[in-house]
Amino acid sequence: MRAVIGLQPPIAGTVELDVAPAEVGILFQDDALLPWRTARDNVALGLVFHRLDRAQALAQADEWLARLGLSGFGNRFPRHLSGGQRKRVALAQVLALRPKLLLMDEPFASLDAIVRARIIQDVAELVEHERISVLLVTHDLEEAISLSDHIYLLSQGPRARLTRDYPVPIPRPRDPMGARTHPAFAPLFDEIWKDLSLEVGHGTRAEAAE
Amino acid sequence: MTTPAARWVWLRQLAAFVVVLAVWEVAGRAGLLNPLYVPAPSQIGAALAESFSDGRIWPHLEATFTAALGGLALGIAVGIVLGVIAALVPVVAELVEPVMTLLNAIPRVILAPLFVIWLGIGLASKVALSFILVAVLIFFTVFSGIRQVDRKLVERIITLGGDRWALVRHVYLPSVAAWILSNLKVAVGFAFTGACVGEFVAATRGLGYLLSFAQSTYNSALMFAIIFLILAVVLLIFAAAGQLEKYLLRWN
Repeated sequence: MRAVIGLQPPIAGTVELDVAPAEVGILFQDDALLPWRTARDNVALGLVFHRLDRAQALAQADEWLARLGLSGFGNRFPRHLSGGQRKRVALAQVLALRPKLLLMDEPFASLDAIVRARIIQDVAELVEHERISVLLVTHDLEEAISLSDHIYLLSQGPRARLTRDYPVPIPRPRDPMGARTHPAFAPLFDEIWKDLSLEVGHGTRAEAAE
Repeated sequence: MTTPAARWVWLRQLAAFVVVLAVWEVAGRAGLLNPLYVPAPSQIGAALAESFSDGRIWPHLEATFTAALGGLALGIAVGIVLGVIAALVPVVAELVEPVMTLLNAIPRVILAPLFVIWLGIGLASKVALSFILVAVLIFFTVFSGIRQVDRKLVERIITLGGDRWALVRHVYLPSVAAWILSNLKVAVGFAFTGACVGEFVAATRGLGYLLSFAQSTYNSALMFAIIFLILAVVLLIFAAAGQLEKYLLRWN
Protein backbone atom coordinates (compact mmCIF):
# COMPACT_ATOMS: atom_id res chain seq x y z
CA MET A 1 0.00 0.00 0.00
CA ARG A 2 2.85 2.35 0.81
CA ALA A 3 4.24 1.58 -2.63
CA VAL A 4 0.88 2.15 -4.35
CA ILE A 5 0.45 5.61 -2.78
CA GLY A 6 4.11 6.44 -3.42
CA LEU A 7 5.38 6.66 0.16
CA GLN A 8 8.15 4.21 -0.69
CA PRO A 9 9.46 2.63 -3.90
CA PRO A 10 8.53 -1.03 -4.51
CA ILE A 11 11.25 -3.49 -3.42
CA ALA A 12 10.65 -5.51 -6.58
CA GLY A 13 8.41 -5.07 -9.62
CA THR A 14 6.42 -2.00 -10.54
CA VAL A 15 3.14 -0.40 -9.55
CA GLU A 16 0.72 0.09 -12.43
CA LEU A 17 -2.34 2.22 -11.92
CA ASP A 18 -5.05 3.28 -14.33
CA VAL A 19 -5.74 6.37 -12.24
CA ALA A 20 -3.52 9.42 -11.68
CA PRO A 21 -1.43 9.43 -8.48
CA ALA A 22 -3.50 12.36 -7.21
CA GLU A 23 -6.63 10.22 -7.53
CA VAL A 24 -5.40 7.72 -4.96
CA GLY A 25 -6.38 8.21 -1.33
CA ILE A 26 -5.29 6.27 1.74
CA LEU A 27 -6.83 5.67 5.13
CA PHE A 28 -4.34 4.47 7.70
CA GLN A 29 -4.97 2.34 10.73
CA ASP A 30 -4.38 5.38 12.95
CA ASP A 31 -6.57 8.33 12.14
CA ALA A 32 -3.50 10.63 12.15
CA LEU A 33 -5.49 13.87 12.30
CA LEU A 34 -3.64 17.06 13.13
CA PRO A 35 -4.39 17.46 16.85
CA TRP A 36 -4.04 21.26 16.66
CA ARG A 37 -6.64 21.63 13.92
CA THR A 38 -10.41 21.40 14.29
CA ALA A 39 -12.31 18.64 12.49
CA ARG A 40 -13.34 20.89 9.59
CA ASP A 41 -9.84 22.36 9.25
CA ASN A 42 -8.50 18.82 9.09
CA VAL A 43 -10.95 17.88 6.36
CA ALA A 44 -10.29 21.09 4.43
CA LEU A 45 -6.53 20.52 4.53
CA GLY A 46 -6.23 18.28 1.47
CA LEU A 47 -8.55 20.56 -0.52
CA VAL A 48 -6.38 23.58 0.29
CA PHE A 49 -3.31 21.62 -0.81
CA HIS A 50 -5.09 21.10 -4.12
CA ARG A 51 -5.40 24.85 -4.64
CA LEU A 52 -9.01 25.28 -3.60
CA ASP A 53 -9.54 28.60 -1.83
CA ARG A 54 -10.08 28.41 1.88
CA ALA A 55 -13.73 29.42 2.08
CA GLN A 56 -14.73 26.87 -0.54
CA ALA A 57 -12.60 24.19 1.09
CA LEU A 58 -14.27 24.80 4.45
CA ALA A 59 -17.73 24.69 2.86
CA GLN A 60 -16.92 21.35 1.24
CA ALA A 61 -15.43 20.11 4.50
CA ASP A 62 -18.72 20.86 6.26
CA GLU A 63 -20.61 18.97 3.54
CA TRP A 64 -18.42 15.92 3.91
CA LEU A 65 -18.64 15.98 7.69
CA ALA A 66 -22.42 16.10 7.36
CA ARG A 67 -22.42 13.16 4.94
CA LEU A 68 -20.47 11.17 7.50
CA GLY A 69 -22.94 12.08 10.23
CA LEU A 70 -20.78 14.65 11.94
CA SER A 71 -22.62 17.93 11.34
CA GLY A 72 -22.16 20.14 14.37
CA PHE A 73 -18.82 18.59 15.25
CA GLY A 74 -16.75 20.68 12.83
CA ASN A 75 -15.32 23.00 15.45
CA ARG A 76 -14.12 20.29 17.78
CA PHE A 77 -10.48 19.39 18.11
CA PRO A 78 -9.65 15.68 17.52
CA ARG A 79 -8.98 15.29 21.23
CA HIS A 80 -12.60 16.01 21.92
CA LEU A 81 -13.95 13.41 19.50
CA SER A 82 -14.46 9.69 20.09
CA GLY A 83 -12.43 7.07 18.22
CA GLY A 84 -15.27 6.42 15.79
CA GLN A 85 -15.81 10.14 15.17
CA ARG A 86 -12.10 10.66 14.51
CA LYS A 87 -12.21 7.80 12.03
CA ARG A 88 -15.13 9.50 10.27
CA VAL A 89 -13.21 12.78 10.13
CA ALA A 90 -10.24 10.94 8.60
CA LEU A 91 -12.61 9.38 6.06
CA ALA A 92 -14.11 12.76 5.20
CA GLN A 93 -10.59 14.10 4.79
CA VAL A 94 -9.75 11.44 2.20
CA LEU A 95 -13.14 11.33 0.42
CA ALA A 96 -13.23 15.14 0.05
CA LEU A 97 -10.39 14.77 -2.47
CA ARG A 98 -12.68 12.55 -4.57
CA PRO A 99 -10.27 9.63 -4.99
CA LYS A 100 -10.92 7.00 -7.64
CA LEU A 101 -8.89 4.46 -5.71
CA LEU A 102 -9.06 4.29 -1.95
CA LEU A 103 -6.49 2.29 0.01
CA MET A 104 -7.49 1.17 3.48
CA ASP A 105 -5.01 -0.47 5.82
CA GLU A 106 -7.04 -2.14 8.56
CA PRO A 107 -8.86 1.13 9.04
CA PHE A 108 -11.42 -0.13 11.53
CA ALA A 109 -9.26 -2.44 13.64
CA SER A 110 -9.14 -0.09 16.63
CA LEU A 111 -12.91 0.46 16.89
CA ASP A 112 -15.33 -1.46 19.07
CA ALA A 113 -17.87 -3.76 17.41
CA ILE A 114 -20.98 -1.57 17.14
CA VAL A 115 -19.18 1.60 16.09
CA ARG A 116 -17.27 -0.49 13.62
CA ALA A 117 -20.35 -2.11 12.08
CA ARG A 118 -22.00 1.29 11.61
CA ILE A 119 -18.98 2.96 10.09
CA ILE A 120 -18.43 0.01 7.73
CA GLN A 121 -22.02 0.32 6.57
CA ASP A 122 -21.60 4.03 5.89
CA VAL A 123 -18.31 3.51 4.07
CA ALA A 124 -19.76 0.75 1.89
CA GLU A 125 -22.66 2.99 0.93
CA LEU A 126 -20.47 6.01 0.16
CA VAL A 127 -18.01 3.95 -1.84
CA GLU A 128 -20.77 2.37 -3.93
CA HIS A 129 -22.47 5.72 -4.46
CA GLU A 130 -19.26 7.52 -5.47
CA ARG A 131 -18.04 4.50 -7.48
CA ILE A 132 -14.66 4.35 -5.77
CA SER A 133 -12.43 1.28 -6.10
CA VAL A 134 -11.14 0.15 -2.74
CA LEU A 135 -8.09 -1.88 -1.84
CA LEU A 136 -8.65 -3.07 1.71
CA VAL A 137 -6.16 -4.92 3.89
CA THR A 138 -7.81 -6.72 6.79
CA HIS A 139 -7.38 -9.62 9.16
CA ASP A 140 -11.11 -9.89 9.59
CA LEU A 141 -12.47 -12.49 7.20
CA GLU A 142 -16.13 -11.52 7.70
CA GLU A 143 -15.28 -7.90 6.96
CA ALA A 144 -13.40 -9.00 3.85
CA ILE A 145 -16.25 -11.09 2.45
CA SER A 146 -19.04 -8.67 3.27
CA LEU A 147 -17.25 -5.71 1.67
CA SER A 148 -15.27 -7.15 -1.25
CA ASP A 149 -15.75 -8.31 -4.82
CA HIS A 150 -12.41 -10.12 -4.84
CA ILE A 151 -10.39 -11.45 -1.95
CA TYR A 152 -6.68 -12.12 -2.35
CA LEU A 153 -5.03 -14.22 0.29
CA LEU A 154 -1.58 -13.02 1.27
CA SER A 155 0.87 -15.71 2.37
CA GLN A 156 2.78 -15.67 5.63
CA GLY A 157 5.59 -13.03 5.63
CA PRO A 158 8.34 -11.94 5.46
CA ARG A 159 8.28 -12.66 1.70
CA ALA A 160 4.51 -12.58 1.50
CA ARG A 161 2.89 -13.07 -1.89
CA LEU A 162 -0.65 -13.36 -3.20
CA THR A 163 -1.64 -17.03 -3.13
CA ARG A 164 -5.18 -17.08 -4.48
CA ASP A 165 -8.02 -14.98 -5.83
CA TYR A 166 -11.50 -15.69 -4.44
CA PRO A 167 -14.30 -13.90 -6.30
CA VAL A 168 -17.19 -12.95 -3.99
CA PRO A 169 -20.48 -13.83 -5.73
CA ILE A 170 -22.67 -11.58 -3.57
CA PRO A 171 -24.40 -8.99 -5.82
CA ARG A 172 -24.25 -5.20 -5.51
CA PRO A 173 -25.63 -2.86 -4.30
CA ARG A 174 -24.95 -4.62 -1.10
CA ASP A 175 -25.55 -4.07 2.59
CA PRO A 176 -22.49 -5.32 4.49
CA MET A 177 -24.59 -6.61 7.39
CA GLY A 178 -27.09 -8.28 5.06
CA ALA A 179 -24.26 -9.85 3.04
CA ARG A 180 -23.47 -12.06 6.02
CA THR A 181 -26.73 -13.94 5.60
CA HIS A 182 -26.36 -14.37 1.82
CA PRO A 183 -26.23 -18.10 0.87
CA ALA A 184 -22.80 -17.65 -0.72
CA PHE A 185 -21.30 -16.22 2.45
CA ALA A 186 -20.86 -19.33 4.61
CA PRO A 187 -19.30 -21.63 1.98
CA LEU A 188 -16.83 -18.93 0.93
CA PHE A 189 -16.00 -18.24 4.57
CA ASP A 190 -15.27 -21.95 5.16
CA GLU A 191 -13.15 -22.23 2.04
CA ILE A 192 -10.98 -19.20 2.78
CA TRP A 193 -10.81 -20.08 6.48
CA LYS A 194 -9.37 -23.49 5.62
CA ASP A 195 -6.71 -22.00 3.34
CA LEU A 196 -6.01 -19.28 5.88
CA SER A 197 -5.53 -21.80 8.71
CA LEU A 198 -3.20 -23.81 6.51
CA GLU A 199 -1.25 -20.67 5.66
CA VAL A 200 -0.98 -19.54 9.28
CA GLY A 201 -0.18 -23.08 10.48
CA HIS A 202 2.51 -23.29 7.83
CA GLY A 203 4.37 -20.34 9.30
CA THR A 204 3.99 -21.15 12.97
CA ARG A 205 4.02 -24.91 13.33
CA ALA A 206 5.36 -24.70 16.88
CA GLU A 207 2.44 -22.56 17.94
CA ALA A 208 -0.06 -24.94 16.31
CA ALA A 209 1.43 -27.89 18.20
CA GLU A 210 0.36 -26.47 21.56
CA MET B 1 -8.77 18.61 39.64
CA THR B 2 -8.04 21.08 42.39
CA THR B 3 -8.62 19.76 45.85
CA PRO B 4 -9.56 22.33 48.51
CA ALA B 5 -6.07 21.92 49.95
CA ALA B 6 -4.41 22.62 46.61
CA ARG B 7 -6.54 25.71 46.05
CA TRP B 8 -5.04 27.42 49.07
CA VAL B 9 -1.42 26.70 48.15
CA TRP B 10 -0.78 30.25 46.99
CA LEU B 11 -2.26 31.61 50.21
CA ARG B 12 0.03 29.46 52.35
CA GLN B 13 2.99 30.46 50.20
CA LEU B 14 2.08 34.14 50.57
CA ALA B 15 1.71 33.71 54.34
CA ALA B 16 5.15 32.07 54.55
CA PHE B 17 6.63 34.91 52.51
CA VAL B 18 5.10 37.53 54.82
CA VAL B 19 6.38 35.69 57.89
CA VAL B 20 9.91 35.54 56.46
CA LEU B 21 9.78 39.28 55.67
CA ALA B 22 8.51 40.05 59.18
CA VAL B 23 11.25 37.97 60.86
CA TRP B 24 13.81 39.61 58.59
CA GLU B 25 12.52 43.10 59.47
CA VAL B 26 12.44 42.40 63.22
CA ALA B 27 15.93 40.89 63.13
CA GLY B 28 17.16 43.95 61.26
CA ARG B 29 15.66 46.40 63.72
CA ALA B 30 16.94 44.40 66.68
CA GLY B 31 20.45 44.89 65.31
CA LEU B 32 20.99 41.19 64.57
CA LEU B 33 21.77 41.89 60.89
CA ASN B 34 24.51 44.21 59.72
CA PRO B 35 22.72 46.68 57.41
CA LEU B 36 25.92 46.94 55.39
CA TYR B 37 25.39 43.32 54.24
CA VAL B 38 21.71 42.58 54.77
CA PRO B 39 19.53 45.68 55.02
CA ALA B 40 16.02 45.22 56.45
CA PRO B 41 13.08 44.92 54.01
CA SER B 42 11.92 48.43 54.91
CA GLN B 43 15.30 49.87 53.87
CA ILE B 44 15.18 47.92 50.60
CA GLY B 45 11.65 49.16 50.01
CA ALA B 46 12.75 52.71 50.69
CA ALA B 47 15.63 52.39 48.22
CA LEU B 48 13.27 51.00 45.61
CA ALA B 49 10.67 53.72 46.22
CA GLU B 50 13.32 56.43 46.06
CA SER B 51 14.73 55.23 42.75
CA PHE B 52 11.24 55.35 41.29
CA SER B 53 10.15 58.62 42.86
CA ASP B 54 13.20 60.57 41.65
CA GLY B 55 12.82 58.87 38.24
CA ARG B 56 16.42 57.67 38.18
CA ILE B 57 15.41 54.07 37.56
CA TRP B 58 13.51 54.55 34.29
CA PRO B 59 16.38 54.86 31.83
CA HIS B 60 18.01 51.80 33.42
CA LEU B 61 14.83 49.77 33.28
CA GLU B 62 14.29 50.81 29.71
CA ALA B 63 17.83 49.87 28.68
CA THR B 64 17.66 46.41 30.23
CA PHE B 65 14.17 45.76 28.93
CA THR B 66 15.06 46.79 25.40
CA ALA B 67 18.18 44.66 25.39
CA ALA B 68 16.50 41.60 26.91
CA LEU B 69 13.34 41.69 24.82
CA GLY B 70 15.27 42.55 21.65
CA GLY B 71 17.65 39.65 22.23
CA LEU B 72 14.74 37.37 23.11
CA ALA B 73 12.77 38.19 19.95
CA LEU B 74 15.79 37.94 17.66
CA GLY B 75 17.00 34.78 19.39
CA ILE B 76 13.64 33.04 19.08
CA ALA B 77 13.23 34.04 15.43
CA VAL B 78 16.74 33.01 14.38
CA GLY B 79 16.62 29.87 16.55
CA ILE B 80 13.39 28.71 14.91
CA VAL B 81 14.50 29.47 11.35
CA LEU B 82 17.92 27.84 11.78
CA GLY B 83 16.43 24.89 13.66
CA VAL B 84 13.82 24.21 10.97
CA ILE B 85 16.29 24.54 8.10
CA ALA B 86 18.91 22.38 9.82
CA ALA B 87 16.34 19.69 10.60
CA LEU B 88 15.09 19.58 7.01
CA VAL B 89 18.32 20.13 5.05
CA PRO B 90 21.03 17.67 6.11
CA VAL B 91 23.83 19.74 4.54
CA VAL B 92 22.91 22.71 6.71
CA ALA B 93 22.74 20.51 9.80
CA GLU B 94 26.27 19.26 9.10
CA LEU B 95 27.54 22.83 9.23
CA VAL B 96 25.35 24.41 11.88
CA GLU B 97 25.01 21.66 14.46
CA PRO B 98 28.72 21.45 15.46
CA VAL B 99 28.87 25.23 15.87
CA MET B 100 25.72 25.21 17.99
CA THR B 101 27.00 22.28 20.04
CA LEU B 102 30.18 24.22 20.76
CA LEU B 103 28.25 27.36 21.67
CA ASN B 104 26.02 25.22 23.87
CA ALA B 105 28.97 23.63 25.65
CA ILE B 106 30.65 26.88 26.70
CA PRO B 107 29.17 29.38 29.15
CA ARG B 108 28.11 31.83 26.47
CA VAL B 109 28.46 34.86 28.76
CA ILE B 110 32.23 34.63 28.23
CA LEU B 111 31.52 36.20 24.84
CA ALA B 112 30.41 39.43 26.54
CA PRO B 113 33.83 41.19 26.42
CA LEU B 114 34.17 40.27 22.77
CA PHE B 115 30.78 41.77 21.95
CA VAL B 116 31.81 44.99 23.70
CA ILE B 117 34.89 45.25 21.49
CA TRP B 118 32.89 44.45 18.37
CA LEU B 119 29.73 46.42 19.07
CA GLY B 120 30.69 49.04 21.65
CA ILE B 121 29.35 49.68 25.13
CA GLY B 122 25.88 50.64 23.87
CA LEU B 123 22.73 48.62 23.48
CA ALA B 124 23.98 46.42 20.61
CA SER B 125 26.47 44.43 22.68
CA LYS B 126 23.76 43.57 25.27
CA VAL B 127 21.26 42.56 22.62
CA ALA B 128 23.94 40.38 21.04
CA LEU B 129 24.65 38.58 24.32
CA SER B 130 20.95 38.01 25.05
CA PHE B 131 20.48 36.89 21.47
CA ILE B 132 23.27 34.29 21.51
CA LEU B 133 22.06 32.88 24.84
CA VAL B 134 18.48 32.50 23.58
CA ALA B 135 19.18 31.49 19.96
CA VAL B 136 21.25 28.42 20.88
CA LEU B 137 18.59 27.23 23.33
CA ILE B 138 15.76 27.67 20.82
CA PHE B 139 17.79 26.14 17.99
CA PHE B 140 18.21 22.87 19.87
CA THR B 141 14.58 22.92 21.00
CA VAL B 142 13.40 23.17 17.40
CA PHE B 143 16.08 20.96 15.86
CA SER B 144 15.50 18.01 18.16
CA GLY B 145 11.75 18.69 18.31
CA ILE B 146 11.35 18.28 14.55
CA ARG B 147 13.24 15.01 14.64
CA GLN B 148 10.72 13.65 17.13
CA VAL B 149 7.69 14.66 15.08
CA ASP B 150 5.09 11.93 14.61
CA ARG B 151 5.88 10.22 11.27
CA LYS B 152 2.22 9.33 10.82
CA LEU B 153 1.29 13.01 10.64
CA VAL B 154 4.03 13.63 8.10
CA GLU B 155 2.79 10.79 5.90
CA ARG B 156 -0.79 11.96 6.29
CA ILE B 157 0.11 15.43 4.95
CA ILE B 158 2.13 13.94 2.08
CA THR B 159 -0.67 11.60 1.02
CA LEU B 160 -3.14 14.50 1.12
CA GLY B 161 -0.94 16.27 -1.40
CA GLY B 162 0.95 18.66 0.90
CA ASP B 163 4.40 19.89 -0.08
CA ARG B 164 7.42 20.65 2.09
CA TRP B 165 6.13 24.04 3.12
CA ALA B 166 2.82 22.44 4.12
CA LEU B 167 4.77 20.04 6.34
CA VAL B 168 6.61 22.91 8.01
CA ARG B 169 3.45 24.93 8.51
CA HIS B 170 1.00 22.22 9.52
CA VAL B 171 3.17 19.60 11.21
CA TYR B 172 6.66 20.73 12.17
CA LEU B 173 5.95 24.20 13.59
CA PRO B 174 2.83 23.22 15.57
CA SER B 175 4.66 20.15 16.91
CA VAL B 176 7.63 22.16 18.14
CA ALA B 177 5.45 25.03 19.38
CA ALA B 178 4.77 23.09 22.56
CA TRP B 179 8.48 22.56 23.08
CA ILE B 180 9.33 26.18 22.37
CA LEU B 181 6.64 27.39 24.76
CA SER B 182 7.81 25.09 27.52
CA ASN B 183 11.31 26.53 27.06
CA LEU B 184 10.07 30.10 26.80
CA LYS B 185 10.50 30.72 30.52
CA VAL B 186 14.09 29.52 30.38
CA ALA B 187 14.60 31.76 27.36
CA VAL B 188 13.22 34.80 29.21
CA GLY B 189 15.63 34.08 32.05
CA PHE B 190 18.49 33.75 29.56
CA ALA B 191 17.55 37.02 27.86
CA PHE B 192 17.71 38.97 31.14
CA THR B 193 20.92 37.18 32.10
CA GLY B 194 22.44 38.31 28.82
CA ALA B 195 21.29 41.89 29.22
CA CYS B 196 22.45 42.22 32.85
CA VAL B 197 25.80 40.48 32.36
CA GLY B 198 26.41 42.66 29.31
CA GLU B 199 25.75 45.69 31.46
CA PHE B 200 28.14 44.44 34.17
CA VAL B 201 30.93 44.22 31.64
CA ALA B 202 30.64 47.66 30.14
CA ALA B 203 27.70 50.04 30.03
CA THR B 204 26.48 53.47 30.97
CA ARG B 205 22.89 52.42 31.62
CA GLY B 206 20.81 49.43 32.65
CA LEU B 207 19.93 47.46 35.76
CA GLY B 208 23.17 45.48 35.46
CA TYR B 209 25.11 48.72 35.35
CA LEU B 210 23.16 50.03 38.35
CA LEU B 211 23.91 46.79 40.23
CA SER B 212 27.63 47.05 39.64
CA PHE B 213 27.44 50.76 40.61
CA ALA B 214 25.67 49.80 43.86
CA GLN B 215 28.34 47.20 44.47
CA SER B 216 31.18 49.68 44.03
CA THR B 217 29.55 52.02 46.56
CA TYR B 218 28.64 49.23 49.01
CA ASN B 219 24.96 50.12 48.68
CA SER B 220 23.40 46.76 49.49
CA ALA B 221 19.89 48.24 49.94
CA LEU B 222 19.96 49.35 46.29
CA MET B 223 21.35 45.97 45.21
CA PHE B 224 18.51 44.10 46.90
CA ALA B 225 16.04 46.59 45.48
CA ILE B 226 17.27 45.94 41.92
CA ILE B 227 17.31 42.17 42.43
CA PHE B 228 13.70 42.25 43.60
CA LEU B 229 12.79 44.55 40.73
CA ILE B 230 14.27 42.15 38.16
CA LEU B 231 12.45 39.30 39.91
CA ALA B 232 9.13 41.14 39.65
CA VAL B 233 9.70 41.96 35.99
CA VAL B 234 10.57 38.37 35.08
CA LEU B 235 7.54 37.02 37.00
CA LEU B 236 5.34 39.42 35.04
CA ILE B 237 6.75 38.12 31.75
CA PHE B 238 6.30 34.53 32.96
CA ALA B 239 2.61 35.24 33.55
CA ALA B 240 2.29 36.63 30.02
CA ALA B 241 4.12 33.58 28.63
CA GLY B 242 1.74 31.32 30.54
CA GLN B 243 -1.26 33.03 28.94
CA LEU B 244 0.31 32.71 25.49
CA GLU B 245 0.95 29.01 26.11
CA LYS B 246 -2.66 28.49 27.17
CA TYR B 247 -3.93 30.15 24.00
CA LEU B 248 -1.59 28.45 21.53
CA LEU B 249 -2.02 25.00 23.07
CA ARG B 250 -5.79 25.25 23.49
CA TRP B 251 -6.21 22.13 21.32
CA ASN B 252 -4.57 20.07 24.01
